[in-house]
Amino acid sequence: MAALVSVRACLSALQLTSPSLLHSSYKLLAVPLSRRNFAAEAKKVFSRDKPHLNIGTIGHVDHGKTTLTAAITKVLAEAGGASYKTYEDIDNAPEEKARGITINASHVEYTTANRHYAHTDCPGHADYVKNMITGTSQMDGCILVVAATDGQMPQTREHLLLARQIGVEHVVVFVNKADAVEDKEMLDLVELEIRELLTEFGYDGENTPVVIGSALCALENKQPELGVDSIMKLLEVVDSFIPLPKRDLDKPFLLPIEAVYSIPGRGTVVTGTLERGVIKKGDECEFLGHSRSIKSVITGIEMFHQSLDRGEAGDNMGALVRGLKREDVRRGMVMIKPGSIQPHQKVKAQVYVLSKEEGGRHKPFCTNFMPIMFSHTWDMACLVELLPGKEMVMPGEDTSIILALRQPMALDKGQRFTLRDGNQTIGTGLVTDILPITENDKYNWG
Amino acid sequence: MALYSLFRSVRTEVVKGCLTQHVQSLYTSCPSLAAEKALLLKLRKSTGYTFINCKKALEKFNNDITQAESWLHEQAQMEGWSKASKLEGRKAREGLIGLIKGDNAAVMVEVNCETDFVARNEKFQQLVKDVASSIMAHLCSKKQTGYLKSELSPEDISKLHIPEGPSLADQVALTIGRLGENIGMRRAVSLVVPSDWHIGSYVHGMVPGQVGIDMGRYGSLVVFQGGPKEGTDTLGRKLGQHIVGEAPVSLGNMDDIPCGESETRLLPQTFLPDPKYTVGQYLISQDARVLDFIRFKCGESTSQEE
Repeated sequence: MAALVSVRACLSALQLTSPSLLHSSYKLLAVPLSRRNFAAEAKKVFSRDKPHLNIGTIGHVDHGKTTLTAAITKVLAEAGGASYKTYEDIDNAPEEKARGITINASHVEYTTANRHYAHTDCPGHADYVKNMITGTSQMDGCILVVAATDGQMPQTREHLLLARQIGVEHVVVFVNKADAVEDKEMLDLVELEIRELLTEFGYDGENTPVVIGSALCALENKQPELGVDSIMKLLEVVDSFIPLPKRDLDKPFLLPIEAVYSIPGRGTVVTGTLERGVIKKGDECEFLGHSRSIKSVITGIEMFHQSLDRGEAGDNMGALVRGLKREDVRRGMVMIKPGSIQPHQKVKAQVYVLSKEEGGRHKPFCTNFMPIMFSHTWDMACLVELLPGKEMVMPGEDTSIILALRQPMALDKGQRFTLRDGNQTIGTGLVTDILPITENDKYNWG
Repeated sequence: MALYSLFRSVRTEVVKGCLTQHVQSLYTSCPSLAAEKALLLKLRKSTGYTFINCKKALEKFNNDITQAESWLHEQAQMEGWSKASKLEGRKAREGLIGLIKGDNAAVMVEVNCETDFVARNEKFQQLVKDVASSIMAHLCSKKQTGYLKSELSPEDISKLHIPEGPSLADQVALTIGRLGENIGMRRAVSLVVPSDWHIGSYVHGMVPGQVGIDMGRYGSLVVFQGGPKEGTDTLGRKLGQHIVGEAPVSLGNMDDIPCGESETRLLPQTFLPDPKYTVGQYLISQDARVLDFIRFKCGESTSQEE
């Protein structure tokens, strides 16, 4: 509640004194961001003074997703928090290549009083799934756009199913085209129906914010209560309803090992880039991977030949560890907070298989295909098992598969990896589930 | 009550008449509003038509739900057509391949839509089924014997009728009205073979939930002779899978020498389900002969359009 109030306060402040307020915040951005706090963000090549969120729009083709996006940029442009993008700018979703995968998506960025947003709009289901797998812009929340004139369309169900599939936990509804509906009762009914649908798909239908307005009015500066005001309200709701994702710094630390050195007189040093979390001198740690698990203590941290007390996610560092020989650890293992990750040998994953045009194979693959899995700094042979009912996977397709590794490695839900065969990249994937290993799997590897 | 006392104090007959009417209408309008709302919701739920149209229909027929429903159906057809003409020309590259196999006959169709969300929708899938089964019914009615392979253009398909139903063109328009996306019947192929030949089929990326038809992103039909007595279906399926996977362009000869990865002739290609053999060798081991094959990939550009 307090957050909501403060958001409102900020927004009203934005309305009153917006030009100066945002202007000053922009000046802040221009300052070189060399402060330590931003190291965590540095990995994502993103550094701002406001917390960042990825959101997207989903909804039926004609219900005004793109118009809404245009309207948001317009309204915020007037407040100095975005540059105005016209409908046409957004509509011709450019093909972009992320990790060699072609995704049709348009990205728009804007800033509200207290957050920075990257807004993604994709034309199809497959594009959102590719987005999720490659992690180019994992959506922290999304805006479901429904036209008041039509209500939910038959394919709105598929939209919500998609949101569930790609792991979007928070949905905000924008009922668009309210200006085209004369009867206010109709709006209530549309709202009622969409709440029912949200509940059906496991979202909190009763408490999901529903904002009624018209993106077109906002664009054409008509009926401000339906136009500009509703857009402001929507942004306010997005600001307050969609929570910030957990920061990398708050997570238990993880350092994929790039190299191991033995320094005479001091001991063994492991190097790598700290992927998440914070490490301090004297922290206990655990080394995992290649069927080994060793506990130790970090006795020193160094970066650029200078000693550090504390290392943060994003730092490329060396860590001196107690009581280990150089042979005990090797590249590909991970140094973690003890117990935070378990080694696993079998996972379920959502993968996107590159098409021939994207540099992938031209042939499909079947069960028992044996690619090499690359993740963090390790690589390991793995065996593909297709799910029942699936006989082969064609290039350019996304699918769920089971992967059994030759040896247990550090694997976690949500970890990304690449599959390669020989000198060719086959696809990219995301671990969705950890599976127990069976006797049969052991036999497969001899 | 205030109104009543007012009307009592004014004794003129005319005024009295006016006011009683007014009071009555005030009295009845409240509960009817709630009832209307319930009716509207009910109509919307049962038919799935847009709120605006449901409301119009109810107003038009004075809340008679059955009349309103039939009017909505008529209206949907008209709206479908106007929407179809409005959306015409919008790119439709997604969609589904539908495949129906009967005794010695098979039909494969491609129906396109704009986004893959729609391709996942039941109404769209029902349309694919309608299209395929209409062509099948048309094929059966001709009582063709011997080998016949015919490719149908979108115009040919639109002229066909759903058995005891509207024409396919009408049905497509109706679905366009419902789903609000451009939908096109791109191409279709039908096959009839003599009774001692077999048709193998495979659909890739199968959509679950529809009975009597296979739907997916890729489809293939393969015509072959011979094969083991038991399990011609399995052989046909394996061949179909190979064709979807390896996308051969031509048939080739049994004695062709394979030319590696880029081989586009079917027979010298490495057999996908059993890479020890080429397709030709596998066919010999199964005592079978492939005569023809067709492969559809959803959204691919066909030679006619280029």
